[in-house]
Amino acid sequence: MSEIEIEIDGNLVKASQGDSIISIADREGIDVPRFCYHKKLSVAANCRMCLVDIEGVPKAQPACSTPAANGMKINTKNDKAKFAQKAVMEFLLINHPLDCPICDQGGECELQDVAMEYGSDVSKFNLGKRIVPDKGIGALIQTDMTRCIHCTRCVRFGAEVAGIVEMGGTGRGEGVKIEPFLTEGIQSELSGNMIDVCPVGALTSKPFRYEARTWQMNAVQSVARHDLVGSNIYTQSYRGKVKRVVARDNDSINETWISDRDRFSYEGLNHESRALKPKIKVDGEWQETDWQQALQFAVDGIKNNAINPDQLGVLASKHASLEEFYLMQKLARKFGSENIDFRLDQTQLSTGSSLESSINLSEIESVDHALIIGSYTRLEQPMINHRIRKAALDGASVNTMNSKNFDFNFKTKCNALTAPQKLLSALQSVLKAVHLKTNQDIPNDVSDVSPSEIHNIIADDLIASENGVIVLGEHLNSNPNSLAIINLIEKIASATNLKIANITISGNSHSAEKANFIPSGNGLNAISMFNDNTKAFLLMDVDSEYDFIDSKSAQGHFSKEDVFVVALSSFENQSTLTSADVILPMASFYESSGTHINFDGLVQSYSASVKSPGESKPGWKIIKVMADLLDLQGFDYVDSTQVKEEALQSSKVKSSVDEANIQSIDDSQVTTHWQYAPYASDSVTRRAKALQESNVGMINRAYVSKMTAHKIGLSDDDLYLGVPVSIEESVAEDCVFIHTNQARRA
Amino acid sequence: MNEVCFKNLDKENPASFATYEANGGYKVWRKILNGELTPDEIISELKTSGLRGRGGAGFPTGLKWSFMPRNQEGQKYVVCNSDEGEPGTCHDRDILRYNPHSVIEGMAIAGFVMNATVGYNYIRGEFMEPYYRFEEALKDAYKAGLLGKNIQGSAISYDLYTHLGAGAYICGEETALLESLEGKKGQPRFKPPFPANVGLFGKPTTINNTETFASVPEILSRGGQWFADLGVENSGGTKCFSVTGNVKNPSNFEVPMGTPFSKLLELAGGLKEGRKLKAVIPGGSSTPLLPAETAMNMTMDYDSIANAGSMLGAGSVIVMDDTTCMVKTLTRLAHFYYDESCGQCTPCREGTGWLYRMLQRILDGNGQEEDLDLLLSVGEKIMGNTICALGDAAATPVESFIKHFREEFEYYIQNGKSMVEEEHNLIEEAASV
Repeated sequence: MSEIEIEIDGNLVKASQGDSIISIADREGIDVPRFCYHKKLSVAANCRMCLVDIEGVPKAQPACSTPAANGMKINTKNDKAKFAQKAVMEFLLINHPLDCPICDQGGECELQDVAMEYGSDVSKFNLGKRIVPDKGIGALIQTDMTRCIHCTRCVRFGAEVAGIVEMGGTGRGEGVKIEPFLTEGIQSELSGNMIDVCPVGALTSKPFRYEARTWQMNAVQSVARHDLVGSNIYTQSYRGKVKRVVARDNDSINETWISDRDRFSYEGLNHESRALKPKIKVDGEWQETDWQQALQFAVDGIKNNAINPDQLGVLASKHASLEEFYLMQKLARKFGSENIDFRLDQTQLSTGSSLESSINLSEIESVDHALIIGSYTRLEQPMINHRIRKAALDGASVNTMNSKNFDFNFKTKCNALTAPQKLLSALQSVLKAVHLKTNQDIPNDVSDVSPSEIHNIIADDLIASENGVIVLGEHLNSNPNSLAIINLIEKIASATNLKIANITISGNSHSAEKANFIPSGNGLNAISMFNDNTKAFLLMDVDSEYDFIDSKSAQGHFSKEDVFVVALSSFENQSTLTSADVILPMASFYESSGTHINFDGLVQSYSASVKSPGESKPGWKIIKVMADLLDLQGFDYVDSTQVKEEALQSSKVKSSVDEANIQSIDDSQVTTHWQYAPYASDSVTRRAKALQESNVGMINRAYVSKMTAHKIGLSDDDLYLGVPVSIEESVAEDCVFIHTNQARRA
Repeated sequence: MNEVCFKNLDKENPASFATYEANGGYKVWRKILNGELTPDEIISELKTSGLRGRGGAGFPTGLKWSFMPRNQEGQKYVVCNSDEGEPGTCHDRDILRYNPHSVIEGMAIAGFVMNATVGYNYIRGEFMEPYYRFEEALKDAYKAGLLGKNIQGSAISYDLYTHLGAGAYICGEETALLESLEGKKGQPRFKPPFPANVGLFGKPTTINNTETFASVPEILSRGGQWFADLGVENSGGTKCFSVTGNVKNPSNFEVPMGTPFSKLLELAGGLKEGRKLKAVIPGGSSTPLLPAETAMNMTMDYDSIANAGSMLGAGSVIVMDDTTCMVKTLTRLAHFYYDESCGQCTPCREGTGWLYRMLQRILDGNGQEEDLDLLLSVGEKIMGNTICALGDAAATPVESFIKHFREEFEYYIQNGKSMVEEEHNLIEEAASV
């Protein structure tokens, strides 16, 4: 692009040929009013608010759609520009209800802001205003379409970013209505961004409705922790409660979007099952007590049960903070135990940390090919999926190897339906094909494999790709041969020179690995810990009903008479009450300072947005005091920053995926793949009411192919492990794919 | 009269392939197929002819065709705008009914010139008969081996498709037409980019009006100079005019550019007995209204009408005699634009309804003195601020009607009834019927 020089409001400005006037003005800090323009969406030029005067052009021109040309003289504020802008403002206001006092957008409304400068105090319009009936669009977004100014940002967001055209403009002229085409409500996992892009109060947050005025709230910069991205957010709180979460721009992470999970999960913080007071179980009865007693009870319990230090097991959910992971493992190690783990949902555990990704978030959008193995990226890692979608729109081909064909929001080229028990051999077949086609030496373990047609296609695309990526998803975690599979994928990637995006782990797993929250030496991992020797457990934010790959044996073990369990938990539910002997109420998301390490290895710290409710305390403080009470040295921290600094000094255990023993599986056996729907990912989200009532939140189906259904005697709407059955052709044979919010039963 | 687009009108079966061919039709196209004409020669001939876009804007056709990046790789399109919807216009309909082959030949020539192998004729949704006539003509042209792939071994390919609209005035706007043709909602696109670069399905596209395409074969067959000489300076050739309103014989007339308006009025049989000319809208409802005296002194060509204060537009001449109530007429026009606004951009979506409702309120006897200035101010605020010309079209009549006949509006506001109808006792007459 050649460089040009233009004049805006008397300032000479350099720009590139073809830049829109509005983008240049924005860069130069010149304020041009606008409604339909959004830097991340296509240009619509329909609101006409950004009309500016260009010397020599008779009509005022929209700054958003007019490309700058060399020598152009632009005036954004002269009489002609102001006349046009004020004219448009007047038109926008005549049918707008001006019900700002009862509108949730009031105070942060673009229409309100611009009207302050461009609107008139007195309306010349003395006819009746338009009223638009609302259609419900689900549990997350409140519509008040009478306020709509038809900027079509939400429509373009759906078509261009979410990839699902759910909103559109129907009718014409004055009767144009922005409304959903379907009646089932919005389906997108990114739908909440429509609230952010809506410049007026037409689309507002439903859970936030009438909760507070925007200017009363206290906004704190924070980081979302539900996935690997660490989307940047603002938490907005009123009277000590988080009332809303909105996106914060960060181009290299979440651009300007966040997932619905990151946006609406805060509701779980105010759930009735919050643990508010320390509790101890005495003779099988729960008693509320004070912190001092509870902590003493916990420490005594640990000392008495873990007579040998290696009888203590320490487990945390993958959503804990870096500081919490660090202090927990330090406590365990100082105590003398190496039984530390956060990988609760994996069937096979390696001795090192997980496979390293070799690609950055922002690089994903420029790949020319992606092979997705074991992931429904759209729901599991929405922002990473968004990058893959961008690449796909740009022409990248995408192949998948999943046990079900998922509803991606981009075109996939070749979908190799593969049941979990057949994935290993399928990948062997791909590897063999790659080696045959590239004349590389054939590894011994695939010497007698003969690649099938579809695996040949997948291999061809991998070889043809110059800049591709293999995406490993969380479905692999429950695969009985997950380690061997990951090994194979590594080999395929290296044979084809592709990069790897490992999203088998999620949440704040990178922090856990950074803090060495995995066993070393003779330490026991999250599977081997459940043996007769481990008599005391320290759990952080662990829900034994949901979080373990084998929740039955975990729960069984915790409930044993001679096993003492200290639960640091933000919630009390039946499984915690049954498993634990002490409940130490812990601050949840946004209630404590902490650190998240994302997919790129980026360290992002956040401070507490609100104080934790009741007597609950930040996790890192609880562990520190416990360590003190256990007479362990080295816990003299004044604040969490000190913990973080120390944690960041530690060096991560090298990534190593063990050459695992391959489990031989009977191929003809039908396997069950229990996959959590995205809003079952963590204890807070599971309690977020609106999310649970949304379309994605209500996912609860056991998918099975016709032949397999016949084989195991299932028909439509039967219950399989308590989940209603759908017979569909999009599922691999010999496998039941369960996608659900319910606690794992298989 | 009737020398170009309507030249076969007096023949037996004017629309048939045989009639068209017998009268020199497809001569130019066959020459092209034989390699006897080059695109540059055609463009130069069109430039000589002075042919300007007949859809309303009057852009020189030869120049427009030369803008197409003909050597650019990839698909290019030729689109004919037969979405004739301007109130008062009906001559394109008659071209489609009586001379469809001239449109086919004109489009094929355009395709050759611009190296476009596919053309679409977008016909107004209400034009069922013209649609069937054109489809039939298209079948005949294919049957005669004049269209298709590698036509008669010439290596020239041209496929033509007809598309029937769904009845939206806005689809006559070329970019809204393209959206509609793509299967989307008919809403104008902002420009730039222009269709010549990013048009149908994102490909370079030239869009011309039915009459423009229909004129091309005759121009090329008889020479650009011949056509230019038919008209006057800056307005070459002939133009089809639809004369409607208070005339004895409303009809379509193809006359040379520069014909005096008085002559055209005569052709249409003049006014009814005892009536006086009050005003004329010369180019369709979107063009400014002219009072009688100004109209009688103008000739029917681009410059003269522009000097008179209006536009040649689509050549739809609406004649109003002294019994016409300007308040009612303007209200009807305002309703039309209010009804036809696509609703995409703010000034038109909100402004057309405001204009119409204020006028309706005057008609209902509830007008207020300040309404006239408000009407003018709303019109002024729409004007020039919209994506397409529909906003301007809605504001133009408001401005010109009030400018020339303000006292009628004031009378209506003050008295709650029409000055004209009272003068002519039309209210009583109507009541006694």
